[in-house]
Amino acid sequence: MTESVAAEHDIDVTIDAEEAAAIAAETEATAVAGADERLAYRGVFQRLLIRPEVGAIIGAAAIWAFFWAVASEFGKATGFASIMDVSATLGIMAVAVSLLMIGGEFDLSSGAATGALGIVTILLVKDIGELGGAGLSLHIAIPLSLIVALGLGFFNGTMVERTGLPSFIVTLATFFILRGFKLGFSKLIIDNISVGRIDEAQGRGYEFWRPIFDGVWARNDHELGIRDALWLLGFTVGGALIGIAIYEMNHKRREHLNPIGLAVMAVGIVGGAATIAYMHNSDGRSANTLAVVLLAASVLAGFVGLCLWRYEPQRVGITYYSRETLILTVAGVGCVAAGILVTGALEVESQQSVLDLVGGLQWPLMIAGGLVGAYRVWDRRDRGQNQKQMIRSALTAGAIGASVAFGIYSFMFMTTEQGLRAILLGVLVLAGFLSLAIAAYRAGAVAPIARGLVLLVTALMGLWLAWFIQGSSSSPKFRTEAFSVILLVSLLIAVWGVTSTLFTTRRHDDHHAERLAGTIAKIGVAVLGVGIVARLLFTTAEEQAAGETNPANYRMSVLWFIGITILATWMLGSTKFGSWIFAVGGNKQAARQIGVPAARTKTQLFMLVSVAAWLVGLLLAFRLNTLQSGTGNGLEFEYIIAAVVGGTLLTGGYGSAFGAAIGAIIMAMSKQGIPAARWNSDWRFAFLGIILLSAVIANNFIKNKAESAGR
Amino acid sequence: MTDSLIELEDIGKFYGNIIALQGVTTSVRAGEVTCVLGDNGAGKSTFIKILSGVHQHDAGEFRFEGTPVRFNSPREALDRGIAAVYQDLAMVPLMSVWRNFFLGAEPSKGVWPIRWVDKKKASETAKAEMAKMGIDIRDTEQPVGTLSGGERQSVAIARAVHFGAKVLILDEPTSALGVRQSGVVLKYILAAAERGLGVIFITHNPAHAYPVGDRFLILNRGKSMGNFAKEEISQAELTQKMAGGAELEQLQHELAQVTGG
Repeated sequence: MTESVAAEHDIDVTIDAEEAAAIAAETEATAVAGADERLAYRGVFQRLLIRPEVGAIIGAAAIWAFFWAVASEFGKATGFASIMDVSATLGIMAVAVSLLMIGGEFDLSSGAATGALGIVTILLVKDIGELGGAGLSLHIAIPLSLIVALGLGFFNGTMVERTGLPSFIVTLATFFILRGFKLGFSKLIIDNISVGRIDEAQGRGYEFWRPIFDGVWARNDHELGIRDALWLLGFTVGGALIGIAIYEMNHKRREHLNPIGLAVMAVGIVGGAATIAYMHNSDGRSANTLAVVLLAASVLAGFVGLCLWRYEPQRVGITYYSRETLILTVAGVGCVAAGILVTGALEVESQQSVLDLVGGLQWPLMIAGGLVGAYRVWDRRDRGQNQKQMIRSALTAGAIGASVAFGIYSFMFMTTEQGLRAILLGVLVLAGFLSLAIAAYRAGAVAPIARGLVLLVTALMGLWLAWFIQGSSSSPKFRTEAFSVILLVSLLIAVWGVTSTLFTTRRHDDHHAERLAGTIAKIGVAVLGVGIVARLLFTTAEEQAAGETNPANYRMSVLWFIGITILATWMLGSTKFGSWIFAVGGNKQAARQIGVPAARTKTQLFMLVSVAAWLVGLLLAFRLNTLQSGTGNGLEFEYIIAAVVGGTLLTGGYGSAFGAAIGAIIMAMSKQGIPAARWNSDWRFAFLGIILLSAVIANNFIKNKAESAGR
Repeated sequence: MTDSLIELEDIGKFYGNIIALQGVTTSVRAGEVTCVLGDNGAGKSTFIKILSGVHQHDAGEFRFEGTPVRFNSPREALDRGIAAVYQDLAMVPLMSVWRNFFLGAEPSKGVWPIRWVDKKKASETAKAEMAKMGIDIRDTEQPVGTLSGGERQSVAIARAVHFGAKVLILDEPTSALGVRQSGVVLKYILAAAERGLGVIFITHNPAHAYPVGDRFLILNRGKSMGNFAKEEISQAELTQKMAGGAELEQLQHELAQVTGG
């Protein structure tokens, strides 16, 4: 009815002359304001970065690359299977916990609940006899423990809602109650702190439920001859499609298509495909030099062709460098060069611990760190700080310097000289490219051509790095794979530098372009996914012959993990309940005012978490057969870390279930990667802490940047 | 007077022995803006709460579309078509415009238990409703927190209008806004009236009320200081009456003495 009324009335607001004059003073600038009050157009990268899960995906890729470089298990079918195995139970909980956290609450009892609900199930099926237990069939015990789980969640939710106390305190209490119950009842009923065994239920439903909770899909010798070809195809085609989608999103379309561009693009594609095929079949350096030149030409032709075909050219203005850009560029080039040259000079294939080389230098190092920090402050003494401030910052800087030195020292404990080389190279190169990236970003604000030049310099440094790695590394995964990836990335940066100078960036909405780009990007991600899956699920004959493959088993838990992640993502993004979760976490008062059943939504979230705990409890029970009374205690913080690493805001109202799943995979990678890299796994928690801190800082930074830049 | 949506006659409200509101008479017609003016503590909040069903009146008569009514809950008032937009706007800043627009009443597709929100329809409807208010929200996916104060206000108003409001109560919509933003919101108020709604605009700023209002109700310390049509009163008189008339003169006199003028 409202709509028909509205339709009859003119959309334009007509104000009669008298009134218009009266409010003129206040609306003077409305006509102008009409334009500037609306948001400025947000570019494709800003829009991507603001999504909570994107940071997590970038982080996962970085950590994967890091461990791939230092540990041999990574990037192979076996390593992937064990990562997925570890991340499954963690991930199921992390996804549920992230929903609860988006809804603005915490559940500290979630870890203890996993063990508790598994134990409840086992106690329910245990034979009645001298050992105690209810002796029920699993067909009854499993639904019964589900009811217990629902009750637990309902209790948590109702307590939080009714008392109005922070969920932190309420669920901390539940955590201790559960912990006590687990120990108390286990001892009381079976007089043992390890509760088993669930396979006593054989003949009472065990055979039915076991495949559901602990079926194993063995991938011991799944050979796929075309694996590497499929991976390469998926990687290049998927990557190219994603690249095209980004171009489509980022550039302004021209009015009439230019067929010459299409022809150039076709040449580029054919040339690129041929070169990649050629490169894939050779590992020699001389062959590569030619191939790289061809590849560079093809990629450049492909993207410039695409731009010529579809996008508006741009007139190249005058170059202008700010002093800042120049300094950053030079610093970046210097860092990368230093990294490469120093590492080149340290050409020792020694497995000796670095500590033996520097032996006893830790104290001088720490003192030097402190002095450096103090000097920083001394250097700034005449910048109008008072004495108290100076002392305070001197202490801070000294502490930072000392702890950095200590960090370097303790890192040496774990690392060999060869490792030190890799770390030195990594740190210097990373710092260099970061500096170059900032230079490009700053230059772009002043003159596109300056940005283009900085990007070209960056690409050149990348090429040098690729060549250096190829020439100085003995391991084939560096010689071919890292080489190709760095090469390709450098090429893409160079091409981006060229096209972003020559063609116009879109600064307005274009739904047609966005829809098309969205479709292309989805296809690209799917193709890339096929490549990655092929790479991770199958082995090749050479690997088998070399005996590099251990059994890789996928358990049902992985399937549950994937299923629950998809379900939760769908629920959060596409259902009423999902909207309500964001609403109660973002502004509970407002949500309630407008008719969202806030208390009910939150209670349902608590119940969701305890149902997830029930599922994980069963997965563990079937897997381990016997659960300890301490099972799961303390893991709740890992779930929270995974959710936060995945981009969920601690204060609620923002986040993603898919991000939490990625966060769980990151956690699992660090769990598996540290022993695989032959580091002392005592350091695992320190590593987790660093990941958490950097993830939170990075998420915060990216979000602020993306939000503010759009205005 | 049959086209009056709301008529109030001698409305009063008592909290125990405190007289919160007494002898208030006014009317709201479709397509007109009734301004309620008053200083702090004048009884404006009590007035809104009676209209929107949070409280019930203790004296006088409240007629909605000609029939005497007494709402027991905000829901009841909302069902009859009286929607209140409060100062805090009831918005979730990190959620997108369309999600905020349809929060609590999302259009759904599918068969239970597999039901999902019809995002396309929701997004398009939100965009269209906003366009009718005269603003172009380019991207309904953008978080409400990134909108300006005036735009947020307009989302809240458009939302109330879309969900079938006949009478729109705006509680101090301009008080937290700058001059330019206030102007924009005043334009939306006129737009809403233009679409045939009765608008009740509560403010303590006569300069905002006078340009848009068709009728002015002035409250002071719980009492009505008069109910005027626009042609009966000038902006200066309005300001003076609102601040308490004689009291203000007294104050000016005293101030003049202090400053030695």
